[in-house]
Amino acid sequence: MNRIAEDFSPQNVGAVFIYTHEAHPGENYPHLTSMEQKYRHAQALRDIYAVNRPILLDTLDGACHRAFGSMPNMTWIFNQSGIPVYKSDWSDASSVKNALEYFLQIPERRKAGERLAPFRVERLDYRNQDRVEFYKSLERNGQKAVDDFRKAFPSG
Amino acid sequence: MTDSSIIDLYNYDEFVPEKYERWMNFEASPPLGKRSLDFSLWHLDGTLTTLSEVLNRSLLTVVEFGSFT
Repeated sequence: MNRIAEDFSPQNVGAVFIYTHEAHPGENYPHLTSMEQKYRHAQALRDIYAVNRPILLDTLDGACHRAFGSMPNMTWIFNQSGIPVYKSDWSDASSVKNALEYFLQIPERRKAGERLAPFRVERLDYRNQDRVEFYKSLERNGQKAVDDFRKAFPSG
Repeated sequence: MTDSSIIDLYNYDEFVPEKYERWMNFEASPPLGKRSLDFSLWHLDGTLTTLSEVLNRSLLTVVEFGSFT
């Protein structure tokens, strides 16, 4: 997703990461109980996972996150007026890239004289589910995070 | 529900279905094409901004939600 931000920035596409609650709390990164702690965890996200997009903290009660469906790692695309034009319940760079390429054609199509009207479309996209990397990240959170996930999803 | 109740429920202390499933609520997310509500957000340096302020800066903005864990 960092790469998406870099590639599309010249075309006036912004990218931010909104920090939510801890989806998989563990001993090393426990559930959030203060904004100070949230800041520390967000800094770790920047430094350890190298998220180089601006990271913005939601309130401790997750007001923004909850308003948009509170999935653990979803992605939305908004236009400049604050209107959402894409929403996905997980995050996948290919899906986002595909959507951005489509939306960025709109101004050119209008300039070419097409009369355009928006419509909603639903689509089932596919994301890479790298379990090895995922379990590494759970281990980083703490053994409890690993154990809880294994109990919730015994088949992996 | 009190503010502190929401904070405690939202920041669940363990990934167990009875605590996390209630937040998997994408079906209730707002529809596309309609302006969404605005929210206060904080930069890592502590400065305050809003979602609308962030979105107004670019033709399109990709917003990823997530956490360290």
